[in-house]
Amino acid sequence: MARLSFAEALVEGMRHELRTDDRVFLMGQDIGKMGGVMGGSRGLIEEFGPRRIRETPISESAMVGAAIGSAMVGKRPIVEISFGEFLPTCMSQIVLQAANLHYMTAGAIDVSIVVRTRIGDGPYRGHPQCYESWFAHVPGLKVVMPSTPTDARNLMIAAIRDPNPVIFFEHMWLYHGVREEVDNSPTAASLGKAAIRRAGRHVTVVSTGWMVHKALEAAETLAVEGIDVEVVDLVSLAPLDIDTIASSVRRTSRIVVAHEAWKVGGIGAEITAAITEACFFDLEAPPVRVGAPHHPLPMAKPLRDAFVPDVNDLLRAIRQAMAT
Amino acid sequence: MSRPNGPGTGEGADLDPSVRIGLLKAMMLSRTLESACCELNPRWFPAEGEEGVIAGAFFGLRDDDTMAPHYRGPFLAYALRGADLSRLVGQALGKANGYARGRALGFTGPAAMGIVPWVAGDLGTTIGVATGCALGFSYEGSDRVTVCSFGDGTTNRGDFHEALNLASVWKLPIVYVCQHNQYSISLHASEVLPIEQISVRASGYGMPGLTVDGNDVFAVHSAVRDAVARARSGEGPTLIEARTYRLGGHWASDPGGYRLPEVQDAWRDKDPIPRAVSELVTSGDLTQHDVDSMWDEVRQAVDAAVTVAKACPDARLEDIGANEVFADVSEGMSALRGERGEPWLA
Repeated sequence: MARLSFAEALVEGMRHELRTDDRVFLMGQDIGKMGGVMGGSRGLIEEFGPRRIRETPISESAMVGAAIGSAMVGKRPIVEISFGEFLPTCMSQIVLQAANLHYMTAGAIDVSIVVRTRIGDGPYRGHPQCYESWFAHVPGLKVVMPSTPTDARNLMIAAIRDPNPVIFFEHMWLYHGVREEVDNSPTAASLGKAAIRRAGRHVTVVSTGWMVHKALEAAETLAVEGIDVEVVDLVSLAPLDIDTIASSVRRTSRIVVAHEAWKVGGIGAEITAAITEACFFDLEAPPVRVGAPHHPLPMAKPLRDAFVPDVNDLLRAIRQAMAT
Repeated sequence: MSRPNGPGTGEGADLDPSVRIGLLKAMMLSRTLESACCELNPRWFPAEGEEGVIAGAFFGLRDDDTMAPHYRGPFLAYALRGADLSRLVGQALGKANGYARGRALGFTGPAAMGIVPWVAGDLGTTIGVATGCALGFSYEGSDRVTVCSFGDGTTNRGDFHEALNLASVWKLPIVYVCQHNQYSISLHASEVLPIEQISVRASGYGMPGLTVDGNDVFAVHSAVRDAVARARSGEGPTLIEARTYRLGGHWASDPGGYRLPEVQDAWRDKDPIPRAVSELVTSGDLTQHDVDSMWDEVRQAVDAAVTVAKACPDARLEDIGANEVFADVSEGMSALRGERGEPWLA
């Protein structure tokens, strides 16, 4: 057992695969001497050297393209896109090439790549926009967003081993903000599975990344009032584990979906639609969504605090769901 | 290095006669196969006139090298790697026998062929993917190489810039061949390129760049062969601009009213196939009778492929495989992987 931060756990996951499989390599900017943005690749250059830990020019599209091509000839590359805000610069490689190649070639080609990137409101208040739902919309991509150090490590291992392109979102607030005891047996998590973080009887709260921690905090507050909240950590945005959510909702008959990304067109919209279709007659109340207002995330701290959904927003949403 | 278009450049004179004959036959196959697809599918992309670049770029590569052909004239690369011609024709028509089983436009084949398919709807991303194949070769320390072709218009994409820069920084084993046919659909190169020669762009990436007569298959092949040798020995990438002309429309039924007929006629006179024939007959490597037999052989093979493909049903719902969007370690999806016929021009 070791007490690891989220960032350290991510590095542990990569280190484990780099040690056991020479096909695995990492490329990105500032991942060598600097140790990756916010220490997200710290210690890897010292152990694996510049052949496996490859510093790149600022060329996100070429980086993802190069990952796809090297996967086609049998490698297992990880591409680090420093921030999710840079994903639009490599969108055509991800959406047109990586997502399509396996299916369009009738299974002739696997694109075993991981594109890891950072999103969300972080301690440095830079590059906070959350674009994860774009990728969940496109068939052929797997999209994950861990919320705990153990998941960060084990999902990274699973993402690297998966024969499909996996877009791996790392929430910046969690990087050094959560720590937990992580066991000594790195294992590949199962991609495409949601996790119940807190069992409860009255209302299901589905959330992602940092919002999972806020939901757990809200649940403790509401427990005092006699409201028993079940917290589901989505973990995987694609494939979407609607079965786990639906079976929770069938027990609680109420659902709140909360994410830091914009509410409009966010993954919460898909979840509430899918749950309404699957569980309409089980629901006691309309689904409630929590997400950022449809507005670019501001920079100044008071404005940021006003825009990023917080525990109070969750408390309000859960009480609204319970009021009907 | 730069050569004007016209007969008798003399480049490639050192090529072995068997290679020169092979190049001619490859051009004949490309012409016949692509023209057949154009006759059957008005939305197929004519490559007539550009065969000097197509054959010159991809002929004679090693079996374990990777090819990333331009979407205009892609099938020669597949044929060189043993593709079943009837499945290629079927693919261009969306038939069930196509390698892509109706899922994509026909620029794909079994992975074992080592060809970067063209599944994206854009231009430029295949350059990045091809560069990645070269990265994989460099990473594994092998001497395999990639040859990647694309049009002149694509050199205006940011993906071209990013990929060539990356390949040069990492000295990747790749040869970039610009199949410069002078047209981005209806726009002439002079409207969208501020430079006369695309090869000058190479200097911005610190790699050699050269312009060759794309209608002289021997000149193209000679340049590619040298660049391949350079890539194989670890000296990094090369950009080759092979200047040619798109004799057909952007798609088969494109009337092409945006071009001057007299310019088109002038380029028809520079057709790379009669040019190579004339050189080989003059040199005594072939008789006219040999040439006629080669045409007969190619036409018979393509006619047979067309007959089979036309008789095939269109791709059906059961070919779609809606549950096959993701790769799995299941049996069904690996079936195509090892599939590879005998190289057509072995």
